[in-house]
Amino acid sequence: MSAVPAPRDLIVNPTGEAVAYSDDPRDVGWVVKNIPCQSACPAATNIPAYIRAIAEGRHGDAYEINRQANVLPGVLGRICSRQCEKACRHGWPGNGEPVAICNLKRSASDLKNSGHRITEELFAPTGKRIAIVGAGPAGVAAAHDLSVLGHDVTLFERESQPGGMLRYGIPAFRLPRDILEIELHNALRLGVELRVGEGVGKNTSFPVARLLRDYDAVLMSAGCMAPLPLPLNGEWKNRDPADTCPDVEHGLPFLMALHRDEKKTVRRRVAVVGAGFSALDCARVAARLGAQEVVIHIRTAEEYIPVTKEEIFEAKREGIRIRGLRTPVGIELDADGRLTGVRFVQNRLGGWREGGRRLAIPIPGSEFFEPCDTLLIAIGQKTVNDFLDVPVELDRWQNVRIGENGMTSVRGLFAAGDYVTGPTTVIEAIGRGRQGAAQIDAWLMGETRRRRLVRIESVAEPLRERAFDFIGRQEMPTAVPNERLRSRTLEVDLGLPAQPCQEESKRCYLCNLKYQIDVDRCIYCRACIEVAPRACIKLVESVDIEADGSCGKLREAKEWNKVGAIWIDNNECIRCGACFKVCPVKCISITRNEFVEVDQP
Amino acid sequence: MNAPRHHVVVGSGVAGNQAAETLRSRDPESRVTMITVSKLPFFNRYDLPRVFRGERDWRKFIIYPAEYYLDNRISLRRATQVVSVDSARRTLFLAHNETLHFDTLLVASGASPYMPAELVEYRPQMHGFGSFRDAIAAADALPKDGHVILLGGDTIGLDLGRTLLDIGCRVTVVIEKHTFWPHEVSADERPRYIQALTDMGFEVVDAAARGQIAAVRAGEPGLAARRVLFRDGSEIHGDIVMPFFGVAPALDFMLGSGVDIERGLLVQPNLRTTNDAIYAAGDVCQIWSDADKRYRFYYGWKNVRAMGELAAHNVTGADEPWVPTQDEGLQLTADGRIHSPFWEYA
Repeated sequence: MSAVPAPRDLIVNPTGEAVAYSDDPRDVGWVVKNIPCQSACPAATNIPAYIRAIAEGRHGDAYEINRQANVLPGVLGRICSRQCEKACRHGWPGNGEPVAICNLKRSASDLKNSGHRITEELFAPTGKRIAIVGAGPAGVAAAHDLSVLGHDVTLFERESQPGGMLRYGIPAFRLPRDILEIELHNALRLGVELRVGEGVGKNTSFPVARLLRDYDAVLMSAGCMAPLPLPLNGEWKNRDPADTCPDVEHGLPFLMALHRDEKKTVRRRVAVVGAGFSALDCARVAARLGAQEVVIHIRTAEEYIPVTKEEIFEAKREGIRIRGLRTPVGIELDADGRLTGVRFVQNRLGGWREGGRRLAIPIPGSEFFEPCDTLLIAIGQKTVNDFLDVPVELDRWQNVRIGENGMTSVRGLFAAGDYVTGPTTVIEAIGRGRQGAAQIDAWLMGETRRRRLVRIESVAEPLRERAFDFIGRQEMPTAVPNERLRSRTLEVDLGLPAQPCQEESKRCYLCNLKYQIDVDRCIYCRACIEVAPRACIKLVESVDIEADGSCGKLREAKEWNKVGAIWIDNNECIRCGACFKVCPVKCISITRNEFVEVDQP
Repeated sequence: MNAPRHHVVVGSGVAGNQAAETLRSRDPESRVTMITVSKLPFFNRYDLPRVFRGERDWRKFIIYPAEYYLDNRISLRRATQVVSVDSARRTLFLAHNETLHFDTLLVASGASPYMPAELVEYRPQMHGFGSFRDAIAAADALPKDGHVILLGGDTIGLDLGRTLLDIGCRVTVVIEKHTFWPHEVSADERPRYIQALTDMGFEVVDAAARGQIAAVRAGEPGLAARRVLFRDGSEIHGDIVMPFFGVAPALDFMLGSGVDIERGLLVQPNLRTTNDAIYAAGDVCQIWSDADKRYRFYYGWKNVRAMGELAAHNVTGADEPWVPTQDEGLQLTADGRIHSPFWEYA
């Protein structure tokens, strides 16, 4: 425990702005703890800043703020897994529904001016050459960052077009290809040499050993493209039915073939096993290919699967059904070898897994049969390393092992994205790709050229009104289900129009605003406590200091003579500004605290 | 002296009221709070078809007078919505930003009419039957001897359909997989039951034969007020369209509470959820069945009432398993009519 720390002094710069930059652990810790959406975002997007820009009608600025962390805002605004919304303070108990952060991200992209200029602050050329293997989200993000840093980048892609999972795994009705094309082009236009249809590794023109000779560094971002086999029992134990039955297919190859414009068909009744976005995508594609009945079978229950509620709802609107608490244990074929159905075992819910997921415990003796004509297996993917022609150390999951500097056991060979972590999300792959780029730059240049600081800026008055707390979450308008099913490319989500978009942006609590009471000037009149809509202003004895130096738990005073300070609990504060407005001695200050990347002096 | 235990019951239907009554009798010193989103206190929803016979006075449907709750010291909070539950802190969050602590929570929030997601956007063109207000609105929109289209045709809808036929309406049932819900009718037996519907005076339209229901829209000027469109391009016309696709547990407020959920709240045979302080009863819960080796729902007011009583017993110290009290089979009477045991509420 320590005494109550004083607020950091702000320096007024020549332009009149009161701004300070800090690497003080208290400031860093405050941002990490108090901006839950940004902390949850694997790319650390400055979410309150871009939502505020939208509220002020500056959609282009909002797009650029996004782009600093995530080079594909229009893409992610459509297909992100939305970890930020799960963490949003507006969704905490008693606060209502989370802000529609992802929909706002998309709106910033949709609503920016047609003459919007992208701004990139380019470093001088370094003369270093870097090869990146795999033009998926991690590879594209890394290629962009490395080209901004002044390096010459060559991006190798095995398929005929870049995008990886974005292009070959995600259907166009969720991610229109024109949006993808534009943003990929913008990411790669700073001189990245794109070599498509060019595999790397054994039996190709570009063995990894050659790349290591020809380039200063190589980044492997080959993704996670091999489907996991479905473990079955009995006669199907250790056999993959997709190898022998024409009606059984793995979800990812199914989607990839479809997106290479190969002809794909499904029969009348389609069963999908799996609980991720790929399973949902397979089901929704099957509905568009003419299946009359599509059922997704999951091991646990809807509440615990790692897809957004909106995606589940839209799938249901397309007539898709989800059946829970079941694990496939076998399949049944007729005399002609055609699929007649799947045998399942009933499950009960077991303990918790990471990310709010659950274990499923099969119940002995509870097998049952569900008829179907087509089975799509979408239970996950794994990495493939058999193409590597250099000996690289792997971990026990057969993923490439990297050190703290992002390098594999081979000098100069780096790895990033799902290729290292196993299957994650697009935004996570982008975050990892950017991290990999920064690590390569640091290794090549012998120093860290950019570092993260907390920018602290004085804010003159509250930016929110209490009335904003009563605005409901704005719903995404969508295409009519009957029309969707007639097209494989008609986009389902139509985007928030300008007015609902602005209403939604007002809902953000702007957690990057820090309200602080100057205890030396406070007269303890309690006016702020009286007007506070929540128990957010507290009389405290002291504040715990965490191991990293940041402020922790508040020790509330039970008696008047123990009061050490009057303190704003930023966990409870909804930035309504009521305390600021009522304070008779103006001892409450507001600052905007946010992470920025600055050049190392 | 310890504060009295606070039992909170969410829901004021058959299960909730039976539970509150049992809690009061078994734990006389406790606080019992019943929360309902409904503005009306406990009313006989099974009697709602009477609205179409002209009974418009809501007081005629009320089961317990206000004094009942006063006399039994049950704090009834109407028009109050629970938005979330923190099971670890035993706290309910109400829509008007109040928090409420509980020692035990008995969830009897029932179920709402289920609407297939593909038809949700056409809800404004349909008339519901889930509340007294809905029933009044539907009856007001129906001209004398008018034509009612029942989509799906679960047992609640068919029960209403019997009344509508009796008062001279034309009733079309658009049959699909929810028809006869919650009864399970085998594919072999289904044609006989469909025939029985015809014999009872219903007109039957098979949705599957027309490629399923595509949309419900307002009628053209001068024609009937509503149109039901099918995917094969055909359509039928009626004065009102009412969806009867079964019910779905009303448990949105329990999402994220830490209590296990599949379609309903998953409970052990003693009706306890995965949180020791939270029990459930009625249409909201999926009960583990050792015999079936799965979690399943049980319907019908007798079952629901028995669940409310059992849950309250177990909340107050007992540990007895659920035993169904009601026959679940759909029957064909000697004169060729359909009869559901769930209709035996009079």
